[in-house]
Amino acid sequence: MRTGLLIEFVMKFAIALFSAAHAPSSRRALLFAQAALAGGHEIVRLFFYQDGVYNASSSVVTPQDELDLPRQWRAFVSEHRLDGVVCIAAALRRGVLNEEEARRYQREAVAIAAPWELSGLGQLHDAVQDADRLICFGGA
Amino acid sequence: MAKSLLIISRQSPWSGPSAREALDVVLAGGAFDLPVGLLFLDDGVFQLAAKQDARALQQKDLSANLQALPMFGVDDLFVCGDSAAERGLNPKLLSLEAAQVLSAGEITALFNRYDQVITL
Amino acid sequence: MSTLHVLSHSPFGDDRLTSCLRVIGAEDALLLSGDAVYALQPGTTPFDSLGTRGLRLFVLAEDAQARDLLTPDWAEAIDYPAFVELSIHYDKVNSWL
Repeated sequence: MRTGLLIEFVMKFAIALFSAAHAPSSRRALLFAQAALAGGHEIVRLFFYQDGVYNASSSVVTPQDELDLPRQWRAFVSEHRLDGVVCIAAALRRGVLNEEEARRYQREAVAIAAPWELSGLGQLHDAVQDADRLICFGGA
Repeated sequence: MAKSLLIISRQSPWSGPSAREALDVVLAGGAFDLPVGLLFLDDGVFQLAAKQDARALQQKDLSANLQALPMFGVDDLFVCGDSAAERGLNPKLLSLEAAQVLSAGEITALFNRYDQVITL
Repeated sequence: MSTLHVLSHSPFGDDRLTSCLRVIGAEDALLLSGDAVYALQPGTTPFDSLGTRGLRLFVLAEDAQARDLLTPDWAEAIDYPAFVELSIHYDKVNSWL
């Protein structure tokens, strides 16, 4: 039986991703997020900015023998009921729209759906305020 | 008390949307009245070169947005003096007068003043 | 206040490592991930500057393993759970994107 001597701290993480799904840093972000939850910690929000928006795209087709990161992200966010926010301005610029935005701008392709949500940069700041740590992944 | 965030902008203004998207993070923080700081480091100091012509590349002018930072409540603006000097820019002749020029040691101390940091 | 700096770009032909070493503080640590682990290639300038610097240096084990790079005794190879713990141990994490 556990005694009260061992106090485990639950940390609140905000995780921001800035690179496309094919970048090694996107895989690192997912493995870090999985390890954080496995360690008993909390993820207050995932925020995808810049090329990170491509990780939420349902239009990515990964060859069968390669790691399908957009699919893994989707499964991870759904399974753990995480708050997965995609920056709307960055997504529009890169052609990754949800149904509402596709209708608004009269575009045919819809690439974002639940569990992802398009929202503004305020959600990144909001997550920083909520979290104990902001961890960014991107670049190479 | 609100947590403070230091944004470090390391990309030139003409290398794609990165410099603008870093600035957008800063402006959003200012709009929410959050304590944000902005440090120009490495090629990011080229954003502050005095005479630039965005029209030559059919781009929007970033420097007008930079000048407006104090109006958006962002007064904590910093430039890495070493980065500027290495790139042949006189730190005293940069386009953002409100920005303080910092030495490497002062940047180390700057990190310690902020709760979290984003380097773009 | 301490910072965990995280690099993921190769140190060859890129100034992130140089800039990071310029501003890293005495309480800080550095984690090499991705191509940044090529800094552990023996006999190179990045290897020598890290080895003589005496800073707290961590290496993401999977990236060193993939590149067949040995972790010198002045660095520590870590997995993802340890990465999470490091990010808690230090007050903030600065990823050089």
